[in-house]
Amino acid sequence: MNILFIEDDAIETMKLQRTVSKLQLKHHITEAKNGEQALEILHSTKQLPDIILLDLNMPRMSGIEFLGILKANETLKYLPTIILTTSENRADLLECYRIGIAGYVIKPLKYEDYEQKLQRILEYWDINELVKA
Amino acid sequence: MDSKEVILLKKALERQKKARLQAEKILEEKSKELYDVTRHLKEANNTLENLLSEKTSELDGVFINIIDPYVVMDLHFNVINMNSSAKEFLGYDHAVEPLNLSGLVHEDYVQYTMESMKSLMEVGTLKNYRARITVKDGSEKYVQINSSLIYDHDRKPIAAQGIIRDITQETEIKQLLAEQKKQLDIIVENSPLGIVLAVDGKIIKANKAFADLLGYTEGELRQTSVKDISAPEDVEASLRLMKKMDSGELDRFSIVKKYFQKSGSTILAKTTVSTVSDSDGNVGYQVALVEDITKQKELELQKEKLLAELEASNQGLQEYAHIVSHDLKSPLRSISALATWLAEDYKDVLDDNGIFNLQQIQDKIEGMDGLINGILKYSSISADNLENDSVDLNTVINEIREIIFVPEHVRIVIMNPLPTIKADKTKMHQLFQNLISNAVVNIDKKEGLVAIDRKDCKTHWQFSIQDNGVGIPEEYHEKIFKIFQSMGEGERSTGIGLSIVKKIIDLYQGKVWLESTPGEGTTFYFKLKK
Repeated sequence: MNILFIEDDAIETMKLQRTVSKLQLKHHITEAKNGEQALEILHSTKQLPDIILLDLNMPRMSGIEFLGILKANETLKYLPTIILTTSENRADLLECYRIGIAGYVIKPLKYEDYEQKLQRILEYWDINELVKA
Repeated sequence: MDSKEVILLKKALERQKKARLQAEKILEEKSKELYDVTRHLKEANNTLENLLSEKTSELDGVFINIIDPYVVMDLHFNVINMNSSAKEFLGYDHAVEPLNLSGLVHEDYVQYTMESMKSLMEVGTLKNYRARITVKDGSEKYVQINSSLIYDHDRKPIAAQGIIRDITQETEIKQLLAEQKKQLDIIVENSPLGIVLAVDGKIIKANKAFADLLGYTEGELRQTSVKDISAPEDVEASLRLMKKMDSGELDRFSIVKKYFQKSGSTILAKTTVSTVSDSDGNVGYQVALVEDITKQKELELQKEKLLAELEASNQGLQEYAHIVSHDLKSPLRSISALATWLAEDYKDVLDDNGIFNLQQIQDKIEGMDGLINGILKYSSISADNLENDSVDLNTVINEIREIIFVPEHVRIVIMNPLPTIKADKTKMHQLFQNLISNAVVNIDKKEGLVAIDRKDCKTHWQFSIQDNGVGIPEEYHEKIFKIFQSMGEGERSTGIGLSIVKKIIDLYQGKVWLESTPGEGTTFYFKLKK
C-alpha cells in the first residue's frame, strides 16, 4: 500500500518505520511533517496514497484542519484516513467522525503495544479493496 | 182743661204714639238685623267648627299615618307626643314613662345637639340633624332628623316636632366603605410595587412607590400622560398590547419597558397592565403594576457575563488539560519507544544492571502516564457534562471486575443486590472502580475480600466498600481525598484516584468518609443523593 503518514514528531516516524520494517511489510510510506506539507504532496503527486495515517496535534496546520480540507475536496475525500493520536479528547473524536474518518486509534504508551496496533491497522487495510487513482 | 190744652195734649200723645211706633219699627228692624247677624254668626261658627274638626281629624290621620318615627317634644326635649313608629324605633312610650330625648344622644353629639337646638329656636326649622343615639334595648342607632317649631296663638314657640329617619345602616355602610378605602389606601401606599390608575392613557392616581420610582410627587403625576414618561421605543409595543386588551383578546399583559425619571435618567420596569370595567362592562380604568427591575436586569446581565466567562474559562481549562496532557504524553511515548529500542538493539552489550535500569525507566514512564491520565480525568469531572441514565450498579461492579486486575486470592463480593440509580454511568464507573482498585491493591492478607454493600437512607443511598487490607492510619483519613496526596508507596499510586472519588461524590451532593483499623482493613462509606 501507499501510505501517507502525516506526523510532526521524528520519533513517531521512526516508530512507524521500525514497525513496518520489523514486520517486513512491503508498504511505501510517504512522510509529511504537517497538514500543509501533506496537501502539497497530495496536489503534486501523480499517484494518490491508498490510506492516510494522520496525527492531530501538529504545528501550522492541525490534523482536524487538514481533514476538513481533505474531505471538502471532490477527489481527495475518498481517501481512507485513520487518526493516530495521543488525544483522548472526546470533542476531537466526535469532530473527526463528523468530518469523516476511517478510524481513530490512540497511540499506546508502550512501543510493543504500538507495534501490535499498527500491524492490525495495516493488515486490515491491506485486505480491503481500495480506491486506486 | 181747656180745649187748647186738650188739643196740645192730644197732639203730644199723637207724637208720642208716632215716636213709639217709629221706635218700635226701628227696634223691629234692629232686632231683625241682629237676628240676621246672629244667624250669620252661627253659620260661620258652624263652618269654622266643621273646618276645625276636619283639620283636626286630618292632622290626627297624618300623625298616625306617618310611617317614619314622628315626635313632638317641648323645648326641653320632653316628649309630648310620638307615633307608633317612633315608639317602635326608640323602644319608649311617653304615655308609659316620661321620655327626655336629650338623654338618648351619644356624648360625642351632645354639644352638636345643643347647637342644633339653638339654631332651631332662631330659625324655626332644622334640616339634616344627624346624631348617634342609644335606644331602649341598648343598641346604637344613627338618626337624621328634620324638625320645626310649634307656636301658640301669640307666636310664641312652645314645642318642636320632628321626623326621624333611621340612617344606621347607611352610616355603617359608609363607615365600612371608608374603613375599606383606608385599608386599601394603606396597601396601595405601602406597596413596594408602583401602582398607577389611568383613564385613556392619563394618570389619575399613582401611589407613592411609583412617584418615588420616577422622582415625581403624586400631584405632579396626576394628569400626566403615560406616554410622556415612557421611552419612545416601547410606546408602539404598549399600544399594540393595549389594543388587544381593549378588543378583549387579552385580559392583561406584561411588558418590560423603560420609564423616564424626572431627572431624565431611565429605569427599566416590568409593567403589568389590566383594565377594570364598570358595571355596564365599559372599559374604564387601566391599572398598571410597575416593578423596577433595573438592578435585577443589571445583575442578570452581570450574571450572564460571569457565566459566559466561567464557561469560557472552564472550556479553556478543559482544552488546556487536554493540550498539556497531550504534550506530556507524546514525549513519554517517545522515551518509552527509545528505551524499548535500546533494550532490543543492544541486548547483547547490556549487562543486567543496564537492562534493569531500562526497565526502571519504563516503570517510571508508566507511572507518569498514569498520573497524566488521572489529572485529565479529574479535570474533566464537572457538572456540565453529566448524563442522567438509569445505572444498574450490579452491572457496573461486574464490568469493573473484568477491567481491573484482581489477583487470584482476592474476591470481590456484593453483599446485598445494589440499586439502579439515576446517574452518569461513566462517573459511577470511575467512582466504584477507584474505590475497588484501591481496596484490591491494598490487600496484604492471604485471603483477600472486598465487600460491597448498600443501605437505604431515604433521601440518599449509602454504599460501603470494605477490604481486609493494610488499613489507613487516622491522620490520613482527610488528607487522602486531596489531590496528589497519596499513602501508597507503590509505583501505581498517583494520588488522584480518591480525589476523583471525592469530586464525583460532591457532584451528587453526597459525602464520603472511611473507617479503618491499620493491619485489619478499611471501609469506605459514601452517600449519593437519590
